[in-house]
Amino acid sequence: MATRAIDSRDTVPAVTADGRRRWFRGQAFWLVAPALLLLVICLGLPLAIVTLRSFSEPQWGWQNYAWFFGTPVNLTVLQRTFAISAWVTLVCLIAGYPYAYVMTAVGPRMRLVLILCVLVPFWVSGVVRTLAWVILLQDSGVINSAIRAVGLSPVKLIRTQTGVVIGMAQVLLPFMILPLYSVMKTIDLRLMQAARSLGASPARAFAQVYLPLSLPGVYAGAIIVFILALGFYITPALLGGPRSTMLSTLIQNQVLSLLNWGRGGAMGVVLLIATFVLLALAAPLSRQPHKTGSRR
Amino acid sequence: MKTRIGQVAALGLLMITTAALAQSKPVAGEVAEGSLKGKTLTFVSYGGIYQDGQIAALKEFVDKSGVTLLSDGPTEISKLQAQVESGNVTWDVVDTGDFPPYVYCGKLFQKLDFSKIDTSNIPEGQTSECSVPAMNYGVVLMYNTEKYKDNPPKSWKDFFDIEKFPGSRALEGSGDLSGGMIEQALLAAGGSVENMTVADIDKAIEKVKSLGPDTIFWKTGADSQQLAESGEADMIAMWTGRAMTAVKNGAKYTPAWQDWLVVMDQMTIPMGVKDPDAAHALINAYLGKSAQETLAKTTSYTPIHKDAKPEVDEITAAFMTNTPDKLKLGYQQNIKFWVENFEVANEKWNGLMAGN
Repeated sequence: MATRAIDSRDTVPAVTADGRRRWFRGQAFWLVAPALLLLVICLGLPLAIVTLRSFSEPQWGWQNYAWFFGTPVNLTVLQRTFAISAWVTLVCLIAGYPYAYVMTAVGPRMRLVLILCVLVPFWVSGVVRTLAWVILLQDSGVINSAIRAVGLSPVKLIRTQTGVVIGMAQVLLPFMILPLYSVMKTIDLRLMQAARSLGASPARAFAQVYLPLSLPGVYAGAIIVFILALGFYITPALLGGPRSTMLSTLIQNQVLSLLNWGRGGAMGVVLLIATFVLLALAAPLSRQPHKTGSRR
Repeated sequence: MKTRIGQVAALGLLMITTAALAQSKPVAGEVAEGSLKGKTLTFVSYGGIYQDGQIAALKEFVDKSGVTLLSDGPTEISKLQAQVESGNVTWDVVDTGDFPPYVYCGKLFQKLDFSKIDTSNIPEGQTSECSVPAMNYGVVLMYNTEKYKDNPPKSWKDFFDIEKFPGSRALEGSGDLSGGMIEQALLAAGGSVENMTVADIDKAIEKVKSLGPDTIFWKTGADSQQLAESGEADMIAMWTGRAMTAVKNGAKYTPAWQDWLVVMDQMTIPMGVKDPDAAHALINAYLGKSAQETLAKTTSYTPIHKDAKPEVDEITAAFMTNTPDKLKLGYQQNIKFWVENFEVANEKWNGLMAGN
């Protein structure tokens, strides 16, 4: 699937492409071998074991899956995990898109400052950042003190889904901004000028020229953020209450407190399959821009 | 000639038995000089100030026995399970929570040889086949003194009575089952803890739910301390150590000691350790008076040696749980019931934690 997408955009003459492909078959394996080895040993193998144990413990069969789908709280939490991740993705997109655009429009020094602003929080440990959010969001915290100071009634932020989404979006924002920026910087801004000179309003020029060209970045960022959000553990635990518990917490309970690898494994497999299904459903969307607009 | 050999053999045998006898009467805190030279033990606990204090308490043991003591952690039963199942156990002595040595006795933890450990100074009823206590602490009801100035809550019954005592509540939600808290909720709901059944767990959980949607389930000790110091919840079920630190930091909270929940960490030896004798020697040394005093002084947890008299400041002393008046008020959970119903109880409790 991936190679087809690349081929359709490929502008290199066919003969060279054929030659390259032949070389590819012979040599390129060794280029990907280290990464492949790492993936097989550190991801593939454990995943296979977890899947196996979800069927084999305590005895062979579908019992762990029957338990998962027969326990209402699991389904509630699964649904909630996807909902929170979707919200986080949306918030990241809304906050990240204009930011990434500004990064392409400013001078090199300002761009460096903007990149640092994105990356510095990235270098701070997740726990520290989350605890900082606790201090900001709690009922007697900085945000609510400020709201009270201007005479408004305080809002409940900590131990709510809103609090969790805010905290997670901040942690994940770099994963949205960086792919967006890497796509946006390749967009020739003169295209916008051309659109304007042909009579398009700024909004129309943006919607019909800039936005479609930036969509690959949007999809890349959204997918990365969404998938990372699905597995979040510390932030929902510290910023959320019972009603924002995510699936990873339930998995942790099963494996670490109850030593029930079968059920924990089944939960992980269900989450993985649900994610694949969702991505498969979203895939046609991401192919849209290649059909409508040629890039060069 | 023949008789002489017999005599020597008899003498030798006598010496060996004497040595064995001397060994078979261990005294808590003592270890033979140089007896573990060249050996290595790995001690596993929960890290932070607590484990530092435990290592400090074991310093005398290390110096005297000549053992090399390694420190690892945090304790995770699933990791221990992996070690035991693969037959490669690198953790020699493990500090665990309340339940694991009961739930996994003989499976992950070995039955202790009490001829090698002096348990005579441990408070009643705290040792099990597979464990001795590592320290004591409690879960205590802390209430905001400004909020409940004229009518302070006195017990868990008041904690669960949202009508007579309006205000927000915070309970432990760290993920571990707190049998004692469920039993108190059941009592507050008018139930009885005699002959508890699984249905009683539901009744207790309903009582917890009746505290309202704003009830906080704190995840870590630091989390609960933060709640007290910022005054976020009016009544908080807190670990005594965290309650003490919060009060030291100026939190306007005070404890109601009635039925404080007795909690402890456990010292255990996993199945299949390479040198069980050395592991037993470590535990025996850890239980000594001066070791326990060091532990209490450095961690402010309550020592589990009856005669230990740690030098601590006034606030720390106020939160020590081994004074006669506090021991009288303490509440011991029905550990047998919780171990027997471990899985179903966890499932129900985790359901509550997940907002079910």
